[in-house]
Parts: sequence; structure tokens; C-alpha cells
Amino acid sequence: MRLSTMRSRVTRFPSTAAAGLVLLVLLGTAGPALAQSKNLAPGFTNLAKATKVVVMPIDIELFSISGGGILEPKADWTEAASKHLKVALLEKQRSFGLTTAELSDEDADDVAEVNALHAAVARSISMHHFGIASLQLPTKEGLLDWSLGEAVHPLKQKTGADYALFSWVRDSYASSERVATMIVMAAFGVGLVGGTQVGYASLVDLNTGQVLWFNRLLRGSGDLREADKAGETLEALLSGFPVGK
Amino acid sequence: MRRRGFLRAGCACGALLIPGLGRAQALSDWQPPTRFARPDISTDEGGLWAMMDREETKLRRSPFTIRDSDLRGYVHDIACRLGGEHCSDIRVHLVRTPLFNASMSPNGMMQVWTGLMLRVDNEAQLAAVLGHEIGHYLARHSLERLRDAKSRSAFAQFMGLFGLIGAVGQLATLAGAFAYSRDHEREADSIGLALMRNAGYDPAEAAKVWDNLLLEIKAKPGGDPASSPMFATHPPPEERKETLMRLAEASPGGVTNERTWQEKTAPLRHEWLGDEIKRGQHEESLALLKRMIERTPSQAEYLYARAEVYRLRAKENDLDAAIADYDAAVALGTEPPQAHRGLGMIYRLRNQSAAAKASFERYLQLAPEAPDFAIIKSYMEEDRT
Amino acid sequence: MRNLVTVLLVAALAGCVAAVKVESGQKALGERMVVTLDGAWNQINAPGLGPAQVWTMEGMPVDQLLIYTGLKTDEAIHAERSDGNTKSFKFRSGMQPDEIVALFEGMLTRDGSSFKLVKLAPATFGGGKGFRFEYGLTRKVDNVQLSGIGYGMESRGELFAIVYMAPRLTFFSRHETRVERIARSALVKG
Repeated sequence: MRLSTMRSRVTRFPSTAAAGLVLLVLLGTAGPALAQSKNLAPGFTNLAKATKVVVMPIDIELFSISGGGILEPKADWTEAASKHLKVALLEKQRSFGLTTAELSDEDADDVAEVNALHAAVARSISMHHFGIASLQLPTKEGLLDWSLGEAVHPLKQKTGADYALFSWVRDSYASSERVATMIVMAAFGVGLVGGTQVGYASLVDLNTGQVLWFNRLLRGSGDLREADKAGETLEALLSGFPVGK
Repeated sequence: MRRRGFLRAGCACGALLIPGLGRAQALSDWQPPTRFARPDISTDEGGLWAMMDREETKLRRSPFTIRDSDLRGYVHDIACRLGGEHCSDIRVHLVRTPLFNASMSPNGMMQVWTGLMLRVDNEAQLAAVLGHEIGHYLARHSLERLRDAKSRSAFAQFMGLFGLIGAVGQLATLAGAFAYSRDHEREADSIGLALMRNAGYDPAEAAKVWDNLLLEIKAKPGGDPASSPMFATHPPPEERKETLMRLAEASPGGVTNERTWQEKTAPLRHEWLGDEIKRGQHEESLALLKRMIERTPSQAEYLYARAEVYRLRAKENDLDAAIADYDAAVALGTEPPQAHRGLGMIYRLRNQSAAAKASFERYLQLAPEAPDFAIIKSYMEEDRT
Repeated sequence: MRNLVTVLLVAALAGCVAAVKVESGQKALGERMVVTLDGAWNQINAPGLGPAQVWTMEGMPVDQLLIYTGLKTDEAIHAERSDGNTKSFKFRSGMQPDEIVALFEGMLTRDGSSFKLVKLAPATFGGGKGFRFEYGLTRKVDNVQLSGIGYGMESRGELFAIVYMAPRLTFFSRHETRVERIARSALVKG
């Protein structure tokens, strides 16, 4: 196994601002896929085939964890992962029998505010719906019940799609110094973070703004830096994606 | 990408170190390189480029970026004049942040912060700063720095902290880690001046930008420049001013375009001054405004702004100083309506009801659409009873 | 927002954070204030979340309702930070409405966010003479553009206020009316 892909259970957290973001989504249990109803909005089961889905530009950042536990953004890894995932995402959607659309850079500029809004809602869902039990919002009654309302209409107007798929990934990998540190600290009974993959995929109805399906990823494995392995992450991200058979 | 390049420590020696140029050669003899090709994505340079493209996309979509196409086009034209053949590779982004900064990334993305635009007196001074940044770009300095992994990660984190006023400490550390070498800074200064001269600007203005900034730093209580967010990354170099002046003397002449600059920035000046006041760094603001008032005594906005700072600081004689400045602004006849509000606030504080009422009334007359119209009206009416 | 969320994270790790239901009907807040709710809200409890109560409908990263129920002179309107560099925004009895709004503006812009006052007018709040304001906030950390409203008044030297903010797209208008009703129902005992 390559040193740089080693992972370990999360027990100590790096302290930078970027880590804060990772922490935000770390709240809650890492574990197997959650029950169907938790990922689906009430009343929604799946998409019909031939439905048009706009695949939003993936928001992804890869980090390396230094010996001291600091997350360092890695431009080259991120660039590679971006490309792999983008291709894989589009292929996957097509394999579901869905028609895909993409946003031009210019259009993406125009809908920046909607995108930022969705990111905030997604953070809220991660934190309050998929996070620790005590943070669930009582008024949501345990349901995936968030809607962006009319704000999403420009997306529909620009692409003609009825649905949008958003995705977000933050991934960290232990550098070799980090792994060395981990080994040393393990001898003292201290478990250090090796690397974590967090992310979400979100399907939004562009007519109502309702978040129909949301999947949160949180695990200590996966490697986005190479095309073949990146496909596996994508599978995990889209696990349970609601499309009719 | 944050670049404190222009403020970096300068030449400790007497000689001018323009690469390939002798001491006595005129600046206009310097030849810029030809346009750069976009690097292959698989190279480390290509990866950096991609990272910068991503940051640029975020910047473009940020609500903090100024969309005013008139001002943006104007600044872009200045950058173009400086960049010559490289003009089409330069993209200018104006960002609303009340600190002095301009930077340029290897992919051609140029950022200019509103704090810088507030502080320069004319086009030539802006050209000095932009020319310096273009100098780094033309000489590929950042690529040399970014080849060092530590530097790269510091840079990336730095970009992530872009504009965060509250994160000064981190800013300083990371920017310091990324900083240019002294040689780079010297080179960028030289190239910047050459570009200025070639574009027809008066190179003597470059040293003045320096001078003016030093005034502000020295005004800060505690006097430690390193702790000012304005200069988060390094101490200001007194010698650098000397070097720039000497370089400029070798090629005198050129324009400053002060009138055009003042006209073009006039629509946003009130907002930028407001942002400066809200920084809450009273001493620095007072030093800045004192200089601006001395230079342009007929600009009521500067007097109003200084009055506001005095009123907010409210130390011993500040309120009287504020009244004096508000009155001076009003006397010019071009005062912003808020000057009357400021006067009203002070009179009200001092229980001078009649004076307060009169000032508030004037404010309401001049600014019927003001957000705080109703509350000021209630202050007026309160004092009547 | 970012600071509140950070505090929440730290508290969560310590196991002492919870979202608690606030039922409709009359609700006593602090020692002197009472509001009437026409529907349930979610109150976020966590140590270090600051002197105000924090409520939300859509979750902390989206909307926040801050409720001040008797802040005294020299108390900051936010949780105190340990580093000496950050400025504190403290209430002082006798502060004028524009000064109190400036406190909120200061608190909300500490992280580089950009605040714009839209309206400030006298208003009855809590049964006494107070003020109401509307504002826009562009959040630095994630560029989300928020709309906000606030009410405030001083009674017996203490500050009572509610401040609500949510994204200007969809969410603010969704909950604004309910917040206005809460504000109008508020009573401060003399």
C-alpha cells in the first residue's frame, strides 16, 4: 500500500481554517450507507429516465496533511481530481439513462449566487440532518425537507433541465512525513488523522427548488488522484442515486 | 494572489540593479519579453496555472468584486499601456477591500483593492504599483517562488484567506512565507519604472506612493508597521524610496493624469472613504486624510471623512475638531448630506437642541432617501419637547 | 455566522450542543421578556454561543435569529474572544439607536463581511420606545448575500433586541413575516 494513501480513524483534528470546514461535515458517524428515507425528500422516490439533469461544476479541493497536521491545498492533485470526477460524473448520469446538460463558464458566472446559496443549504443539511443526532432541527421532524424555492429558476432557464446535481468534495491525504508521525504517535497510543474524504451530492428539483436527494460521504478511504480510483469515489458519492430502473 | 511586492525591502547598496542594464542607461532601453504561452497542465507550472484559474473564477463570481465596467475598463487601460504586448494576457479585477494592495498572478490575473485606489493621487502613482506587479509577472518571479513546495502551500492557503481582514496574523505569516526575495523586489521596481516611463508616466511619482504610505504607518500608535494590516507582510523600506527617486531622476518627465484619475474615481470615493472609516483605525485614517486634505483642500468628501473619524474616536478635543471639519466641508458647498447629520449628532450629544435640530433638518432636506431618515427625524422631534 | 458555527463545532466535539424545539405559544425569554410564537422554532444551545439566544428555521449556515433579553452596560453583544486584537462591541446604557445598530454592524463585519443599512426608524418594541432596522449583509466566508431585520429597545438600562438574517434569495421572505410577528408580540416587563 502506498504510504500516501494510508488512512486512520479520526481522533485528532488539524487546526487550520480549512480543517474547520472539514470538521463541519465530520460531525456525526462515519459508517455504512444511511437508510433510504433519510436521503430522500418526503414524497419523492426516483427520477424517470430521459429526464434532463444539469450537472453543476463540482466543487472540489484536495489537501495534503503535513507532518504537523496542517492541511495544505494541493493544486495539481485538485486539478487532476476535478477532471477525473467531471468525466466520471457525466458518464454516470448518462448510464442512468438521464440526459445531461452542463453550464458554460459564463452561465456559471450568472448563477453564482444560486450556487453559493445551495452550498449554504447543503452545509446545513450536512450539519443538521446528517450530523450528530442532537443537532437535528426538531421542526424538520427528521425529514430531508429543504427547498431553495424560486431561486433555482435561472438554472432551469439557462439549461432547460428539470433537475440539478450538485457535488462537493474535500479530501486529504497523509504526506509521508505525516505517516511517519502517525506511526510514531501510534506507539504512544495516540491516534492521528491520516486522511479523510468528505463530500456530498445533492439533487435539486429546478421547478420547486426542493432538495430531492442528498447523500453525504464521510470516510477514511478513497483516492481521487488517479482516474481509475476516482471512479470509486464517485460511486460512493452517488450511492443510492434515485433513478428508476 | 496577495503580493506585498511593492512594499518589500529595497536595495541596500547604491547601484541600480536593472538586469542587463548599466547604471547610466535610460529606463526606456529595457526590453520586455515576448508573450508567454500557457504551460502544459502536466507540468508543475501548469498545475499552478490551473489553481490560479480556479481562484480567478471564484474572484470573478464574488460579490466583493466591483462590476462597474467604466472604472474597470479605465484601470485595465492603464495596465494595458504598461503591459504593452502583454496587454491581452492581463485581466483586471477590482476588489472592494479597504487595504492597500495590488497583485498579479502568473496566469495574468491582476487584482487591485479599493484601499489602494483610495490612496493613490493620480494615474502615475497607480501605474507605479501596477507596473511593479507587472514587473514580477514579466520576470516570472512568482513561478520561481512557487516551485518551492512550502511556498506553494503557503501561497494556496494565503489565497484562501484572501481579503479576510480579521485574519491579519495568519496573513502575515503566510504572506511572509510566500514573499519575494530582495532581488525580485529590486528587479520588479526597476522594471516597473521602465514600464511607467515607456507608457509616458512620470516615474518620480513612484517614490511618492512610498512616502505617503510611510506617513500612514508612522501614525499608528505603538508605531510597529509589521502589525498593521496594511503592511501585513513586511516592514516598509525607507531606502527603497531613495532608490526609486534615483532611478526616476535618470529619466525625468511624463504625465500624472491627476484630473482624469480624480474624475474617474469620484463616483466611488464616498463609499471607499466610508469603508476606510469603518476600519476603525483612527490614527491611520487621520494621517491619510490629513495628507489628502492638504493636497486637495477643495474636496469636501475628505473633510467630511476626517470629521467622521474625529467624531467616532471622540477623544479630548476630537468633537471640536470634527465640528471644524464638518463646517469646512459645508462651507465649500459640495458637502455630502451626512456632514449635517454628523453635526447634528454632536450638538445632540452636547444638548444643544436648537443647533442639532437645524443640522438634522438640513440633512433630511438634502437626503430625503437616506436609510436613516426616520430615526434622524425622530431625533429632531425629540429635542423639541 | 462562521464564528457561531465554529463555536458549535467545538461544543459538539465536547458533546454539549443541541437543537431544542421552541413550541408555539407564549415563551418567556430571560427574566423580563415574553414573546408569542405562531409556530415552532429551533433553538441552538451550545456553550460559548454568546449572550444572545440563537434560533433558526433552516439551520445555522442558512438563517439565524438572535435574541437579546437584557444585556447590561459594558457587556459585549457577542461572545468575548481571548485574543487582544479583536475589537469588542459593548452595549452601554443610553446608546442611541444609530449607535446600537453600529454595534451590530461591527459584530457582523468583523470577519470581513460587508454591511449595508437599508432602513432605520423609530418603532415600538417590547411595549416601549425602540427602533427597527433593515440591512443587507454580504458574508465573507462564503459570499452568500443576506437580508436582515432587527428591533431593539432599552429598558431600565438593559438592551432587548432581536436580529434576524437569512439569504436574500427565497429564505428571508419565507420567514420574515413570522419574525415581524414575534417582534410585535414582544413584551418587556418594567
